[in-house]
Amino acid sequence: MMENRLLLIDDEEAILRVLSISLRHEGYVVFTALNGKEALQVFEKENPGIVLTDLKMPGMDGLQVLRRIKEINPDTEVIVITGHGDMDSAIDALRFGASDFINKPVRDEALRIALDRAREKRELRRQLQAYTTDLEQMCRLATEEVRRKSEFQDKLITSSNDGIVATDERGLIILFNPGAEKIFGYSRREIVEKVGFEQIYPEDVAGEFRSGFRRKRDKRGWGWKEVSIRGKGGEIVPVRFSGTLLYEGEKVIGSVGFFQDLREIKRLQRELVQSERLAAIGQTVARLAHYIKNILTGLQGGMYVVNIGLDKDDMDKLKAGWTMVQRNIGRVSDLVMDLLTYSKEREPEYRECYPNQIAEDVCELMEVKAAQNQIEMVRDFDPSIGRVSMDPGAVHRCLLNLVSNAIDACLFDLSENKSWKVSVRTGREGENAVSFQVTDNGAGMTADVKKKLFSAFFSTKGGKGTGLGLLVTHKLVQENGGRIEVESEPGKGSTFTLHFPYRREDGGGSGTEPLAAKEH
Amino acid sequence: MSKKILTVDDDPDIIVFVKTVLEENGYEPLIARNGESGLIMARAEKPSLILLDVLMPKQSGIRMYRELKSDPELKDIPVIILSGIAKRTFLRSQEALTEFGDEPVPDPSAYIEKPVDPGELAETIARFVK
Repeated sequence: MMENRLLLIDDEEAILRVLSISLRHEGYVVFTALNGKEALQVFEKENPGIVLTDLKMPGMDGLQVLRRIKEINPDTEVIVITGHGDMDSAIDALRFGASDFINKPVRDEALRIALDRAREKRELRRQLQAYTTDLEQMCRLATEEVRRKSEFQDKLITSSNDGIVATDERGLIILFNPGAEKIFGYSRREIVEKVGFEQIYPEDVAGEFRSGFRRKRDKRGWGWKEVSIRGKGGEIVPVRFSGTLLYEGEKVIGSVGFFQDLREIKRLQRELVQSERLAAIGQTVARLAHYIKNILTGLQGGMYVVNIGLDKDDMDKLKAGWTMVQRNIGRVSDLVMDLLTYSKEREPEYRECYPNQIAEDVCELMEVKAAQNQIEMVRDFDPSIGRVSMDPGAVHRCLLNLVSNAIDACLFDLSENKSWKVSVRTGREGENAVSFQVTDNGAGMTADVKKKLFSAFFSTKGGKGTGLGLLVTHKLVQENGGRIEVESEPGKGSTFTLHFPYRREDGGGSGTEPLAAKEH
Repeated sequence: MSKKILTVDDDPDIIVFVKTVLEENGYEPLIARNGESGLIMARAEKPSLILLDVLMPKQSGIRMYRELKSDPELKDIPVIILSGIAKRTFLRSQEALTEFGDEPVPDPSAYIEKPVDPGELAETIARFVK
């Protein structure tokens, strides 16, 4: 609202009356006073925004009134009315803060201009004041907001479970949250502003930060990786770490590192592994017990038959029972040997031998069982394989296991009218290895069976297998620096391939050094 | 004349053992080493009872049992399953075959899980062979 309250002061009553009529007509609320003293009383009571005063008055003159009013309310616009040509007084008035002067006789036009100007000035001042107040208010709100945000971030950092460590541009640690205290074991008072990152970061991480600080901006940060930090008192703490350098434009202004405590996770992992191991041991023991029980059944049956033979003096029964006992003692012996082979570290025993001869021996051993079950044995030996130095015992054992499995695979094949076949093939593999391949067209294996092939005591042969054969084979092959490959399809059959490295006889050397050392 | 009892099993230990038990109890043992020859022998000899293993090469006991029970001439011969696998596994596999469209078959007369006690075997046989 434009200021429209006005105090008019003149010692001449006629002028007062004429001017106030004219000003009221213009829309002002006009208060009048005939002298300085009265004027001040009215002013204090009404506090008008604009004062129009004559300078020359008896008693308190216009200048004095002006100074008093300016003391009371400096914002008041005071317009002085001077006598014609009284420039000195006008200048004095302006010096004491009058906003304008008009000459007597007061012309309406000059008065209106002076008043309009005064009113504009007041309005401007009012607006300025409003802006200033607004600005102050906004400034206060913004400050409050900044403070709240900063407090919020402080709380975020403080309540983070992750350890957060920040440094300034020199690498001095300036932030060390409670999460970091928990992981590192130091209190923030021991660290902040006292210690550089190099003293608490793991060496490789510290190195990366160090070179990051030196280089120009080329790297933003480091993804999560597992490292170990050395906490207070030397405790090695496994953590996941990620960090980044902080830039302002191109300039490094600091760094921040995030640390996740992995102690609990590692502990749970260890517990899990432990319980899995216990479960595996339990399963292993159960399977082993089952197999031994089978043997025991055979032995008990044998004893029963032997007893009958003794009672009846029946030599045939005695022989049959004794054969059962012998066969089952053989099974115990095989089982124990397999267990020993599996559990003991064994150095390959290299000797000169003919791989084709080993394959032939195995075929001969298994031929009777194959023939009994109408399974054809096919030999396909590479005649160019001569005498080599390898571990014949291990090769024999592995091959025997595979051929015996191949025959079982044919026996357990439920297809009808199939002519079953087990092929044993030998071949040269480059300059220093022989392959032995056993193929059958028997039952084949499902993916599930294939997956468990080399696990301890896994058997598809009911009570008739130990579940150790392939495990032992695998171990022997590995000890000899070789490898084993399996291909199989249910209903079509399986192929097992052994690759055994050897030392060539003409290559010289003692033949006793480990094969791995001989590789080019 | 003593009664004929057919044993179908591929385990030589079981064959000798069962054969001895049968002889001791006055039966005449017949031996087959797989389901295929077991079926041939059953048709030829018409035994009074059949002792059948489940896990065997060539034709399994599961299949042979079905064939026995679907053959009008053989279906009345009592069959005792003698096996290393649990009874419910055997029964479930029979149910599965029935679900796949085969005719349903009756349960076996008895089911003895290995290891077999000679006395128990003899008693069980006696229950079905009069």
